[in-house]
Amino acid sequence: MTGANAPGAAPPRPPLLLALILVAFGTAFLRSPGLNPALFRVSSPAEGGPDEPRFESSFVSPRNNTQTHAASLVELRDGRVRAFWYAGSREGAEDVAIQTAVFDPHGGRWGGETTVASRESTQASVRRLVKKVGNPTAGLAADGRLWLFYVTVSVGGWAGSSITAMTSSDDGETWSAPRRLITSPFLNLSTLVRGAPFLYADGTMGLPVYHEFIGQFGELLRLDGTGRVIDKQRLTVSGRGLQPVVLVRSPREALALMRYAGPERHPKVVETVTRDAGQHWTPPTRSTLSNPDAALSGVVLPDGRLLVALNNIEVDRDALSLVISRDGGGSWETVRQLEDQSARREAPPDEARYLRIIARLARASDPSLADPTAYGPSVKRAMYWGDRYHFEFSYPSLIQTRSGDFHIVYDWNRTLIKHVRFNRAWLDQQRSDASHADPH
Amino acid sequence: MPTLTDLGGLLSAALLIAAVPLGWPRVSRLPHAVLALLLGSAVVLALLPFGGLPPAGYLRGLLGDLSITTTVLLLRAVGRPFFGWGPIDPRSRLTLQGLLAGGGLALYPFALGVGAFDPYRLGYAAPWFLGVGLLLALAAWFRRVPLVSLCLAVAVIAYAIGGRESTNLWDYVLDPLAAIWGLSGLLFRGASRLLAPPDRAPSS
Repeated sequence: MTGANAPGAAPPRPPLLLALILVAFGTAFLRSPGLNPALFRVSSPAEGGPDEPRFESSFVSPRNNTQTHAASLVELRDGRVRAFWYAGSREGAEDVAIQTAVFDPHGGRWGGETTVASRESTQASVRRLVKKVGNPTAGLAADGRLWLFYVTVSVGGWAGSSITAMTSSDDGETWSAPRRLITSPFLNLSTLVRGAPFLYADGTMGLPVYHEFIGQFGELLRLDGTGRVIDKQRLTVSGRGLQPVVLVRSPREALALMRYAGPERHPKVVETVTRDAGQHWTPPTRSTLSNPDAALSGVVLPDGRLLVALNNIEVDRDALSLVISRDGGGSWETVRQLEDQSARREAPPDEARYLRIIARLARASDPSLADPTAYGPSVKRAMYWGDRYHFEFSYPSLIQTRSGDFHIVYDWNRTLIKHVRFNRAWLDQQRSDASHADPH
Repeated sequence: MPTLTDLGGLLSAALLIAAVPLGWPRVSRLPHAVLALLLGSAVVLALLPFGGLPPAGYLRGLLGDLSITTTVLLLRAVGRPFFGWGPIDPRSRLTLQGLLAGGGLALYPFALGVGAFDPYRLGYAAPWFLGVGLLLALAAWFRRVPLVSLCLAVAVIAYAIGGRESTNLWDYVLDPLAAIWGLSGLLFRGASRLLAPPDRAPSS
């Protein structure tokens, strides 16, 4: 081994070492193709036929007595919609697992809930300590495989997260072994997912991620067809934005919207724009949308309008809005208030009244529930934070399927995942009904 | 079956666990057979599952995969009593510690959010970054600092063949342990110089 010599003698220049250097770097140069820029792939859902306006809601799974969070949607190759979320006794507990269920748009029903990955199954596959699992997000790769990315933590809280990935070739019926993505040089700490992946024209995948340890900022990973990370790009400077959602408007243009996690008194969604397919992003700016440090989601309609679901309020997460922009995000109009319990903040209901409200909201959300009153105790446990009973409608995931239908899933009081489905006719009707809607 | 990258990561972590007893001077002076048994047992124990995961897996969860540089240094430390290698010569040690400390200071604060520039991005398929590594390795070889050349060459080979889960060259040449070793070595050297008594002039 080099470095050891008689005291005082200069080490030699071994010719073998020189040969090793040349072979090593020569091999690396040959095997490292460099990074090729690529245009965005633009999805093309149907414009929507002359349907009757349709808007319906239900719960993804009726399972009770768990805390649920961070649902995410993906359209499968056959047009069905698969949801992923995490559930367990409480956020961050060791029993939390990544759950999934499939929605059949023809039958209008959700299939049974199953577990995709747990702390134990992930730990056994990635062969290192895993303390807990968190946010899942999924996307279809260019080769048709379904990719699931989810947060795993080995050390500390969510700031100690890293990303684990799995693939499925049969739309989520069976899965490959989970494997760890290496995305950070410092102990691979602090890369989290929330926003949906998107595709580049060359078949590579963009995965919006964010970092929370010491600095908080949004980032963009680019993965090749095998899931290898081939690039990582920062979208914001520290303290400006988390949980980016990338809305691809054209092969070169995209808007990234981010949750604001800073100290400003009037928090706004952070946005940044690219006009060269992600080669460069503009410095992050405040949009006109309010944001109470909460996740958001959006899609680009075939006619170029942007549709976003978010908590468009400055505090709390007790109101969830659907907003639309016709000018690329310059201004927004409220299409529909999907949920709103913000008026109850100032006059907190007592327990009995709270349980009655929860039962009423549950019945309105899903008329097929056998016993809407059954969820009250579970919601109460999740939403009583020592001062009062809260309401929470948060972490939306919005997609438009190839048929033109829209689907949103979101946290319903941290106890159930609510699903809302509507069509283009309903959206257009809202616009005409709400032509007087408040511009922001 | 574990993948090759899993095996490499777990073995590196096991090596780190096995190298800990070598910190005691008496241990490194044990007869070779006893020492080999001790180190071999430590590696095996580090790879045997306890509670579903081997100790090396727990360590890997905490530290991530060790860099190739750290692995080379660990292999050198473990092999030293058997092969009669002396300590790393001062010039190699100083150069290596300087590069690791400098690399750590140039990488970690910015990768964790200081400023808008992320040097970690350079490690993804940036040919000129690889070129800088080649120049460093050649310069170290020419300046007779072969340990630096060796660490760089082995790290780059491992990078080229995908020897770790990471696809970023930084993760092959540097990790926080190596940076801390480099930085603490430099600080210790600086402090020793400051605290050393001044040389006395020879009496006439």
